[in-house]
Amino acid sequence: MYAVETQNLIKRYGKTHALKGLDFTVNPKEIMVLLGPNGSGKTTLLLILATILKPTSGTAKVMGLDVAKQPTKIRQILGISFQEARGFWRHKPAEILHFHAAICGVPKSERGAKIEEIMKGLELWEARNKLFMHLSGGQTKRLEVSKLLIQRPRFAIFDEPSSQVDLRGKRKIWGEIHKLRDEGSTILVATNEVREAEYLADKVTVLDQGKSVVCDTVRNLKDKIAGGDVVELLLEPGPNNTEELREELSMIEGTVNLVVAGENQYRAHVSMAEAWVPKMTSLCYERKARLLSVRVTEPSLDDVFLHFTGKVLETTTNA
Amino acid sequence: MHDIIRLVWFDLKHELRPPVWIIMEWITFTIQLGIYGALISQLVTGISNYQQFYAIGFIVMMTFGIGSHTGRHFVEHAHEGRLPYLLSLPISRSKLFLSMALQGGIELALMISVPLAITLALIGNFTFLSVVGAIITLFVLGFGVAGLMLGLSFIAFKSADIYTAITVGLSSIIIRFSTVLYPLMFLPPSYAPVALLSPLTYGADLVRLLLGFDPSILLDPIYAVAVLTALAVSTLGLGMLLLQRLVEGVKSA
Ligand SMILES: Nc1ncnc2c1ncn2[C@@H]1O[C@H](COP(=O)(O)OP(=O)(O)O)[C@@H](O)[C@H]1O
Ligand SMILES: [Mg+2]
Repeated sequence: MYAVETQNLIKRYGKTHALKGLDFTVNPKEIMVLLGPNGSGKTTLLLILATILKPTSGTAKVMGLDVAKQPTKIRQILGISFQEARGFWRHKPAEILHFHAAICGVPKSERGAKIEEIMKGLELWEARNKLFMHLSGGQTKRLEVSKLLIQRPRFAIFDEPSSQVDLRGKRKIWGEIHKLRDEGSTILVATNEVREAEYLADKVTVLDQGKSVVCDTVRNLKDKIAGGDVVELLLEPGPNNTEELREELSMIEGTVNLVVAGENQYRAHVSMAEAWVPKMTSLCYERKARLLSVRVTEPSLDDVFLHFTGKVLETTTNA
Repeated sequence: MHDIIRLVWFDLKHELRPPVWIIMEWITFTIQLGIYGALISQLVTGISNYQQFYAIGFIVMMTFGIGSHTGRHFVEHAHEGRLPYLLSLPISRSKLFLSMALQGGIELALMISVPLAITLALIGNFTFLSVVGAIITLFVLGFGVAGLMLGLSFIAFKSADIYTAITVGLSSIIIRFSTVLYPLMFLPPSYAPVALLSPLTYGADLVRLLLGFDPSILLDPIYAVAVLTALAVSTLGLGMLLLQRLVEGVKSA
């Protein structure tokens, strides 16, 4: 049985088509990452699974339970960390977490210790008695994530769990999500950050305009791209480093595409780096353009997204 | 039941710590009744016990205040994003709705406890049953007024500002054009029909009737019971409708 299964799921908000017939599955005890740009329908899908939003049509099941027929049962095994935590202006973080733990059935004897452990882990302990409205964006996000880390539901949903959080905080959050998975929870994470997806995912579903474009492991997705290797070049600035050279480079046999990655920098998707690099070096030698560095890497999820949707994923590289 | 209490207390404790606003309301009531009520009752000749008439009107106004506060609170929850969180918790929708109504009920009980005790002491002559009836009337009225505020959110759901403006404006009209401060029969003929549109008219007159005022200056209690019941029932419906729209993704004020 799938942990999550949707069939032809459609959601319209008035004229906006947020989900356009989504078929989507998640296996139990894995981390599934939904990767897609803003507006691709990630949050809409998560809210439907959490039974907070009704689908326009189609079916969605969580652990075999239908969101339309058994919503209360689903909420007893599920927890959701929202994209935006709002609405508790006069409350304090510790108080919010105590309430959440109690209402989600964490035994009273364990609450205090668990809350302290998680708050310390996410560096929230110092802010435990501040008012919610005085927390920073990053702190409210950590608080939102802490709710689930204390609740430890069988099915956990994280909507952009580390946006607005600094890199150290991101690492901590990601580590905690891994721990939760290792304890046997099924996890669904929505993000538009490639790094987050690469770090967390057992599997990735690429979402674009309300449709699932492709779903696989990160490894397989990268292998699926034609031009499986990426070569990054840095040339010495000079008169021979010209537009013609760029064109000649992109004409080399085996080039899938070649884009300017910066000043005097190129990024080429090629089918076989071993064959392409020697041809490229001799071309540069003939044209008297000096190579400062050549780096062969594997494609990133950015490349995967570009490949499957034909669009650049605008990521927020704020850390 | 445990969950409901927890939900109520999570929010209520911030309203009650410290309970300054409730105590201020008690003090206002005492001063208004003691000075204004006592003075004006000497000028009013049509009603023999105007001070008591006025005291009940004041309590009805307080009930209106709490009812509309509760209704607006619910709408603001939906707007601020707190309701989605509450909707994600492992409790049923009906328990959630009940907890919000209960919170309003507790606030109302606290608020009118002292004023009602003072009023009853002033009246002196009442039965246990009539007091229970009066209290029930006030709660039903408060619940109905909360529903009125939910209903308004559908008219003005485009903007929180318009919503606030309309509720504040309408509130003062509903209070002025009612029998809260004077009997219907004393109102100028052009105002009287308007007062019949105010739910406060029905609440105030029914409470007065139950507490032994002269029925000849009050509305027929049958109408009052019918109107208040209808109002309370529509509150239930509107609350459910608002939740329904929320789960369908329609933004409301
Ligand atoms: N309550 C709403 N009312 C109207 N449109 C909405 C609402 N919520 C989301 N949308 C629209 O639905 C689309 C998908 O949004 P969302 O699910 O939030 O995407 P994501 O989380 O991937 O950024 C967007 O075009 C968004 O503007
Ligand atoms: Mg989103």
